[in-house]
Amino acid sequence: MIEVKELIKKFGRKKVLDGVSFTANKGEITCLIGINGVGKTTILNAIMALTPIHGGEILIDGKAIHKDSYEKITFIPDAITMLPQMRIADAMEFMADFYESWNQERATEMLRFFKLKETERISSLSKGNTAKVNLLLGLALDVDYVLMDEPFSGIDMFSREQIADVFTSHLIEDRGVIITTHEIHDIEHLIDKAILLDNGTVLKAFNTEDLRESEGKSVTDVMREVYQG
Amino acid sequence: MNRYLKLVNFEFNRFVKIYVVLLAITLITQIIGVILKSREYVANANEAIYQEQLSTSEFLSQYGTMSFDTIVRSVWFLGPIALCAGAVAFYIFLIWYRDWFGKNTFIYRLLMLPTARLNVFLAKGTTILLVTLGFIGFQLIILPIETTILKWIVPKDFRVDMGVHEIIGAIPELHLIFPQSFIEFVLSYGAGMMVVFVLFTAILLERSFRWKGILMGVAYGVVALFIMLSPLLVQDFVVDGYFYISEMVLLEVLVGCIVIALSIWFSNYLLKRKIRV
Amino acid sequence: MKVDFNKRDPVYVQVVRHFKEQIAKGMLEPGQEIPSRRELANQLKINPNTAQRAYKEMEGQGLIYTERNLPSKITKDEKVLGSVREELIVEAVDSFIASIRPIDVSVEEVLDLVKEKYEQEKK
Repeated sequence: MIEVKELIKKFGRKKVLDGVSFTANKGEITCLIGINGVGKTTILNAIMALTPIHGGEILIDGKAIHKDSYEKITFIPDAITMLPQMRIADAMEFMADFYESWNQERATEMLRFFKLKETERISSLSKGNTAKVNLLLGLALDVDYVLMDEPFSGIDMFSREQIADVFTSHLIEDRGVIITTHEIHDIEHLIDKAILLDNGTVLKAFNTEDLRESEGKSVTDVMREVYQG
Repeated sequence: MNRYLKLVNFEFNRFVKIYVVLLAITLITQIIGVILKSREYVANANEAIYQEQLSTSEFLSQYGTMSFDTIVRSVWFLGPIALCAGAVAFYIFLIWYRDWFGKNTFIYRLLMLPTARLNVFLAKGTTILLVTLGFIGFQLIILPIETTILKWIVPKDFRVDMGVHEIIGAIPELHLIFPQSFIEFVLSYGAGMMVVFVLFTAILLERSFRWKGILMGVAYGVVALFIMLSPLLVQDFVVDGYFYISEMVLLEVLVGCIVIALSIWFSNYLLKRKIRV
Repeated sequence: MKVDFNKRDPVYVQVVRHFKEQIAKGMLEPGQEIPSRRELANQLKINPNTAQRAYKEMEGQGLIYTERNLPSKITKDEKVLGSVREELIVEAVDSFIASIRPIDVSVEEVLDLVKEKYEQEKK
């Protein structure tokens, strides 16, 4: 379980996150929802210790993040984290070199699924394919938790569909996933848990199926209530 | 340790293309220099001997013999060395900043490696050291080639041959990069690495605190400088020349080690707690 | 398999209904193997947890059964199968009534219309 407790983050004097708390379980897809600039990416960065925090605590399976945690949790940012001059094969080799949790079989499987060529240079990939390689590099790690920043934004429809397919496959199954989005529409059916953020706080956190069951409301309905009510 | 070595290898490979180009520029420029300078000398000699009817000994007493240090003092020889030194100085900054800039922010990957972040720091430092040593080594290898070319062009009677040691000895300014003894090597490269680590720390301060970080980085540099100067200040103003020169050297080595240790410790702290992507 | 889910009913309920429709239409036969929860999630593009929940629900209702480690199968129980058909019909009629009731119309008139339309569509 990933526990974010009373997280505070300031940029200068401005509090971007003001006591954000939520949990994300293994085997569930948790979605951080909010407009751009609300601090979703900052939360993911904070979980990965990529930015300092000014209050609160973040625990992964009960422990603060340390160097070995990066074999258990991975982050797929919205831009690819490999050098542009690398070929896909080089990028995979780099991952295999540094991570014990790298699973080449799974990487190969995803290459095939996404119809990517190993010999292609990252700098020459289309936006959609860059996103796919980025996803591949993260998901081919045998980690318990995967964080993804806006995996569906800024790419073509077919790439979106392919990426959505990944979410319903064994590549995601049994892992704890946190994704951020400002546009829930396409993925309502995919997520287990929604965390609605605004003004640096959690406005509402709920299990999507429970809410549909008990109140007959879609995530979009709740968003309308919470953000406009 | 294992991942540290892999990182060194990786960092070095990222520089290798530019590196090869720099080495090639050095080789070509210096050899062109040797050929041009030697021919110029031979042409002078021919003109003097055949047109002005000077004898060989008269020419030699008027114009002097040709030796390699004429070439060493020319821009053909020193130019590429300055270029390489400049490249290393530039690369000390680039080795960090290029990981933050551009569309592909590689710093995410580096900071998320399952290894101590300090290894990233040390690997970058090691790369700078290796690159520098490589330049020196390459220069030492091509020197004999260059002296041989000189020998082909200038006849024996007109030249004074110099060994590699003598050539380097000819220009005292180069002693810093071409140490004459092991102690000198350790001292000048130790000092070099210290400067690199202080600069790295300043860069990490900037990367952690951005605008405010620049001031902090400069302040850190001043503090490091002050620590380095402290034995001298103590010697001059407090104990009034109490220490021998050799003791002073030892003291400088000691405070140098302190500055290196401080920089590494501080950088480790910044990488762990303060760094931002 | 392509299912259009609405966003307000629980997805697992919609999956169960989808199975019931398939059974009622005879697309799924008694004793037929059904996809694993992972396959189902992938086919329907839903979260594997949801697929799991749908199967649990169906198992609870006796629609499917699992023997040892074999894949789950559609029930052969005639009574359950019969009730699925009935349930779907009753549900459809209920929702029809709910939408027709606000319009002031007699049962006879409605039934005539239904008969007429139904016959027309068959042709």
